[in-house]
Amino acid sequence: MSETKRILLIDDDTDFRASVRALLEREGYQVLEEPAGDSGLLTARAARPHLILLDIMMRERTEGFFVLQEIRRTPGLADVPVIVSSSLYSEHPFFRVREDAGWMPADLFLPKPLRPQQLLEEVARLLARAPQETAP
Amino acid sequence: MVVIDDDEAIRISCRRILSREGYAVEIFERAAEGLARVREATPPLLLVDLKMPEMDGFAVLEEVRRTDPGVVVVVITGYATIATAVLAMKAGAYDFLPKPFTPDELRLVVERGLERRRLIDTSERLRREKELAQRRFITFVSHQLKSPLVAVKQYLDVLLYTAEDTLPPRARGWIGRSEERLAEALQLIHDWLALARVEQGGFASPGACTVLSAEIPRVLEQQAAAAAAAQVRLVSEVPPDLPAVRGDVLAVVTLLENLLGNAVKYNRPGGSVRLRATRAGEGVEIRVEDTGIGIPADRLPHVFDEFVRVRTPETTGIPGSGLGLTICRAIVQDLQGTIRADSREGAGTTFTVWLPAGAP
Repeated sequence: MSETKRILLIDDDTDFRASVRALLEREGYQVLEEPAGDSGLLTARAARPHLILLDIMMRERTEGFFVLQEIRRTPGLADVPVIVSSSLYSEHPFFRVREDAGWMPADLFLPKPLRPQQLLEEVARLLARAPQETAP
Repeated sequence: MVVIDDDEAIRISCRRILSREGYAVEIFERAAEGLARVREATPPLLLVDLKMPEMDGFAVLEEVRRTDPGVVVVVITGYATIATAVLAMKAGAYDFLPKPFTPDELRLVVERGLERRRLIDTSERLRREKELAQRRFITFVSHQLKSPLVAVKQYLDVLLYTAEDTLPPRARGWIGRSEERLAEALQLIHDWLALARVEQGGFASPGACTVLSAEIPRVLEQQAAAAAAAQVRLVSEVPPDLPAVRGDVLAVVTLLENLLGNAVKYNRPGGSVRLRATRAGEGVEIRVEDTGIGIPADRLPHVFDEFVRVRTPETTGIPGSGLGLTICRAIVQDLQGTIRADSREGAGTTFTVWLPAGAP
């Protein structure tokens, strides 16, 4: 029996975290929450989640991008799959994240609100791909 | 400041008088050298003689207006005729100084010119600050408006996904309707933001161009699901050798998305949408033709106006912000193209867009 997978939600919206948490817990995942980039990074370093779901616009408009870069620079976290979830596309209608540009090293970009079925499928896919053990 | 005059006496006296006032003055006999210095240093003020042997003051004036429009130009004219001065002012000079002039006259003209420059700088700074504030405001408001809607929609999405089977039918129905109403509100915010962005323009910056033969199939692909759901057939005729058009890809794609989206939305089951792109003059004509419900003749002149939605029994229940065609018109105008709507009520509508070719 494999270990329960830990997923870290970093998002400043309490309600968004509550609904997504309920969805993920129902699937048997262990969910950790953080409302900001800095505390999110601390928890990520301490708890070594198997996957991170990250918002972009928190206190700062591009907070998530910096968190993401920091994650990728941190040994032991660099390979953790990160899903960036944001309503950025629809708030900046002429902004697109060029996924091939390499400057935003997320594994996946999902627009908010998240579609439950799609989120669960992508989470399962990324977790299956990830290295099996990341001891805390 | 820079002084260009082929007359040595004028050059020397300008420098002497103005240096004494504390101005840094560079003098040039040859127009070409003076122009090179203006380009390099962009001084606040340029004094230039209108009549010089190699390159006259009008040519200098024209060149400065083209390359450094912020430089205030005062012309020195030997012919103290109103006609010459008027011509120079029309060509973009701010003021003129007839020869011969006294030191006081020179000082006065220079002070006025510099004052003018200060005003230009201030208004430019204010314009930029205002634009930035406006952009920040729009981003802030939209984020504040969207966040609660997104959070509510996320609850409902999760609720439907996790508990659909256990909910009484009426609760399911109402949640479904709530989802639709939220989607409408989110779409309205999205379109309003898109319009705010589009109205700033700037989509035709040098080098911005769109390869329609590559983008049209993508937009069609994206509309395929909506078309299938509405039982509308999507057809396109796009020659592979179509020239690229001017304009930022996202702007041109937004234009196509809006036109195709409307053609599908205001259609009927079994209807069709035909997109044709052809070379036309120094550009490309794009026609989006639908066999839909059409637009009443008296509403047709207003379809591009903000928040205008055609209200007929047939459009009841079709969601829309009333901003889509306003966005289209703003994009086309920014790209210096044209857009036109032709329609027959009950038979269908055709939008014809022409966009100038762009260098690939």
